[in-house]
Amino acid sequence: MAIDSTAPLATPAPVVAPPTKRHGAAKRGLLAEINRHRTDYLWVAPALLVMLLVIGYPFAYTIDLSFYETPPSSANWYFNGVGNYGQILSDRGFWAITLNTFYWAVGSTVLAFVIGFGAALVVQREFFGRGLLRGLLLIPYVISYVAAAYVWRWLYHSDYGLISGVLYEFYIIDQNINFLDSTSLVMPSLIIANVWKEFPFAMIMLLAGLQTVPQQLLNAARVDGANAWYRFWHVTVPYLRSVILITTILLFVGNLNSFVLVWIMTGGGPANASQIWITQVYTLAFQSLQYGRASAYSVILFIVMLAFGYFYVRALTRRREAR
Amino acid sequence: MIAARRIKPLDVLSVAWIVLLLLFAVVPMLWMLSTSLKGQFAALQQPPEWIPSHPTLQSYITLLSPTGEIGPVFLRYFLNSVIVSTATTALGVLIAVPAAYAFSRFQFPGRDILFFAVLVRNMFPVVVFLIPLFILMRTLHLVNTHASLILTYMTFGLPLSIWLLKGFYDNIPEELERAARIDGASRFKAFWLIIMPLSSPGIIATAIYAFIGAWNEYVYALTFLNSESLLTLPVGLQHFFTEFATNWPGLMAAAFIMSVPVVVMFMLLQRHFVRALTEGAIKA
Repeated sequence: MAIDSTAPLATPAPVVAPPTKRHGAAKRGLLAEINRHRTDYLWVAPALLVMLLVIGYPFAYTIDLSFYETPPSSANWYFNGVGNYGQILSDRGFWAITLNTFYWAVGSTVLAFVIGFGAALVVQREFFGRGLLRGLLLIPYVISYVAAAYVWRWLYHSDYGLISGVLYEFYIIDQNINFLDSTSLVMPSLIIANVWKEFPFAMIMLLAGLQTVPQQLLNAARVDGANAWYRFWHVTVPYLRSVILITTILLFVGNLNSFVLVWIMTGGGPANASQIWITQVYTLAFQSLQYGRASAYSVILFIVMLAFGYFYVRALTRRREAR
Repeated sequence: MIAARRIKPLDVLSVAWIVLLLLFAVVPMLWMLSTSLKGQFAALQQPPEWIPSHPTLQSYITLLSPTGEIGPVFLRYFLNSVIVSTATTALGVLIAVPAAYAFSRFQFPGRDILFFAVLVRNMFPVVVFLIPLFILMRTLHLVNTHASLILTYMTFGLPLSIWLLKGFYDNIPEELERAARIDGASRFKAFWLIIMPLSSPGIIATAIYAFIGAWNEYVYALTFLNSESLLTLPVGLQHFFTEFATNWPGLMAAAFIMSVPVVVMFMLLQRHFVRALTEGAIKA
């Protein structure tokens, strides 16, 4: 039996099997090749089986269900074509929620990225207590969204909250602010809580990226008389381009998917001012029990996500080619 | 004294920025702790007290005493979380390890497509699966059991676990196994005796990731469980909130207790964790 293991995708492997044998295998065709590797599949079979059951099947089922009218009160579900999609897309509420969703996702992503990058730039430098600082900055990322949601709800509390209290103390406001009950303040307030939770993610990703920037490159620029600002924009940023891209896409998709913070802090209110796609789908499915409509909503979401997923995969593969 | 490494002092702007960052990151956590140490009336005091003048452990005692009204319920939630997270982690690692190894080493037809399919899962919105999974679990009579959560968490954790572990296996030189194979070991034996011990840091990192994910999960637990006695901590907290709407110290103490295991675990293994998280993006 030949040793048919090879090195990973990224690094071209030395060919292990004798060339003649390789050649023969190619001739025998795909089925024979599959047969030759049949024990390999046993290693991945458990993973693929559970994924098929818990991910593949539900996914197909969602698409199927999205074409059905599913009246909550009866078990009599009937085919409705693209009716659910039509109803969603022609509903004015949908577009308001879409606007909220992008406000939420873009706002959170940009702020988390900028703060995370800023944090990475200082944590990257050597100073006393750097490790401790990095550890402390990472805590928000590790704790659960649920704990974060309750803490921020408490911080924003209109009567007893710390934020209102401190602002009042410093004479910045003369009346407590109702952060989460105001249709104009609710989104910015939620975004800040969300940024608190996820800026550390941007920080570690970019920190790891910064450590790969070759020091010689920066030194060369310095010798050429480039100031710190110029070195940052013209050496560091271009070098980190794909890390930046990947971090932003992951943040953005994560934000489109994020449910807990909004759900616990406001439940989409007041008056739908903080209703986003995900919370709307949840409300449709598990409060109005409109499975069909909610499934169609999910599929629309999925298509949007897929578009971003495409960029993500392209960013990843382009890096691989570059190496 | 180590004099070799010269550390430049930070300029004023950087220090100011660090202070701001620290305040932003740490104040909410400190406020959680501070509130949890206050009595119910002291918590509602305006202006707010940064450091409780009469600190009390009453909330913690109430939550953690096995007698009384709240204690047993809270401890039950805690135990449920431990059960679900541990089972998720153990099963997840057991399934992810061989798959990651195969994706790293073997050259079977369809490998790239399958690996790609595994990765793409990360892009799917969680809610896409919520409705059909709920219906599936109902058909399998798994609604309102821990098994439904364990199965879901484990599977959703797999893509990331496989990706992380594959990164670790890719870094282990193949010559090591080849030598063992030449000495007559089977492929499994070579894997078990040579690769497993070497990849333990990767397995630990993956396990932490799986554990923290399961420990913190909310949406599926909210949807699949309805018996009070089965709830995990994240969903359980909600019940405390509605039942004792004004008991902020109690809620903050509960949130604090829930955060302690993950923060401690993370602090102890920070290096592994950070490496695991960034490995893929940097070296992809």
